[in-house]
Amino acid sequence: MFTQLLSDIGGLWEKYGTVYLTGIANTLILAITATLIGCIIGFFCGILQTIPCGPNENIVKRVLLKLIRIIIRAYVEIFRGTPMILQAVFIYYGMPYFFGVSFKDIWTVSIIVVSVNTGAYMAESVRGGIMSIDPGQFEGAKAIGMNHWQTMLYVILPQTLRNIMPQIGNNYIINVKDTSVMFIIGFSDFFAVHKMVSGAVFKYFPSAFLEMFGYLCLTLLASFLLRKFEKKLAGKSNYELVNADQLVMAAGTYSYPADGSPFDETSKDYKGEAK
Amino acid sequence: MSEHILEVRHLSKAFGSHAVLKDIDFTVDKGDVTSIIGASGSGKSTLLRCINLLETLTTGEILFHGQDVTKGNINQSSYRAKVGMVFQSFNLFSNMTVLANCMIGQQKVSGIPKEEARKRAIYYLNKVGMAPYINARPDQISGGQKQRVAIARALSMEPEVLLFDEPTSALDPEMVGEVLDVMKSLAKDRMTMLVVTHEMSFARDVSNHVVYMADGVIEEAGPPSVIFTNPQSQRTRDFLKRILDT
Repeated sequence: MFTQLLSDIGGLWEKYGTVYLTGIANTLILAITATLIGCIIGFFCGILQTIPCGPNENIVKRVLLKLIRIIIRAYVEIFRGTPMILQAVFIYYGMPYFFGVSFKDIWTVSIIVVSVNTGAYMAESVRGGIMSIDPGQFEGAKAIGMNHWQTMLYVILPQTLRNIMPQIGNNYIINVKDTSVMFIIGFSDFFAVHKMVSGAVFKYFPSAFLEMFGYLCLTLLASFLLRKFEKKLAGKSNYELVNADQLVMAAGTYSYPADGSPFDETSKDYKGEAK
Repeated sequence: MSEHILEVRHLSKAFGSHAVLKDIDFTVDKGDVTSIIGASGSGKSTLLRCINLLETLTTGEILFHGQDVTKGNINQSSYRAKVGMVFQSFNLFSNMTVLANCMIGQQKVSGIPKEEARKRAIYYLNKVGMAPYINARPDQISGGQKQRVAIARALSMEPEVLLFDEPTSALDPEMVGEVLDVMKSLAKDRMTMLVVTHEMSFARDVSNHVVYMADGVIEEAGPPSVIFTNPQSQRTRDFLKRILDT
């Protein structure tokens, strides 16, 4: 019984091994690209949604920001609230109706659909991640003169990224599996290979077995790598003290600070002790 | 003649219908060390946050070298870069090392090249005694060390005024001393400072100007010798009696 299954799988692999592998490669490329683009969309929405807007700002800015928030809200609700398989159909078959053009390239459509879908989920994850950052971090950045973009880019988003890494991992793993619905527009991913092969040789269960095993390997590998990456983001757990003498040399107390600064003892204007 | 760096005029701040600051007026001259004292809830911290534009004022103006910074036509970022702030809760960037904390503002806000920013950061970290820790991250050092790094971060922007918002209130008693020592050395270097504090010894011995606030107004202001030995207002007397006796 079991040997029968093994020999069937072996037969399939021998004959269609490269086809399965191509399927895996397509699935991986689509999932990785779409997750990355989705993250970028998510972070972008996160930055836009958190632009501070006091009651003293001018009316144009306030209206504009309100509009941006409404658009992002609508985007998130629409793409989070409808099945991806339908979104694919909508975009692929809807383009000719609305714009008179159709996508020739299935890859482009697939990447757009999965990215935009991931982006909708990520926008909410990022928003949650930003809200969870201590407000003191924003104030610390503001207090040294950073503007909103700089604060976000250098201080808030790196911390957000670390906090929502598990969410990104979730999204990636979901994408590895759910890209299989792209067969509806003819994308030949790992699952599409199963349909094709089992249809040709009528070995439904052995092929499904192979697919199960393949998908599990892909997601386990992803989990493993994501854990590693999370550890890397957390930074080193210890640090080395640096020899103070070397630092004083490197600091160049004579070449720095600039003329006129309160600590410039070499300057003629230095009024340290004398008052 | 001394030059007014900061001038606060008729500043009022209300959160909703609750007036926190009422018609505050005072000036800070170059080299001044001003201590703002008063009971909790008297509006000291809010005043400081207004000066750094972290809160928007309800009415009034803040003049920096004679120019009103509360109006839209001034670049708030470059103003904030010149007016440093040290917080009660340190607010060091937790995703960066101590060194990067002191470099990022210089590089991104002031556009200083990396090598120079590094030199300057290390110079000021050395000044506060934290240079050996450049590779540590904020969650790996103690509260007093964090606050000293926060001071170095503010200093490395080479500000004209430094604002301190209760810099020692979140620290264990044995760490208060190291931070006060740094602040004293800055005062000795004629750094212009505006310090909200509960450390009466600092207000009395280090600052040359003391402002006592109560219920959102400046109750009394003057040199520490007057405020601490011969206060004019009854409220000031009561406050000092209460705080110095305990």
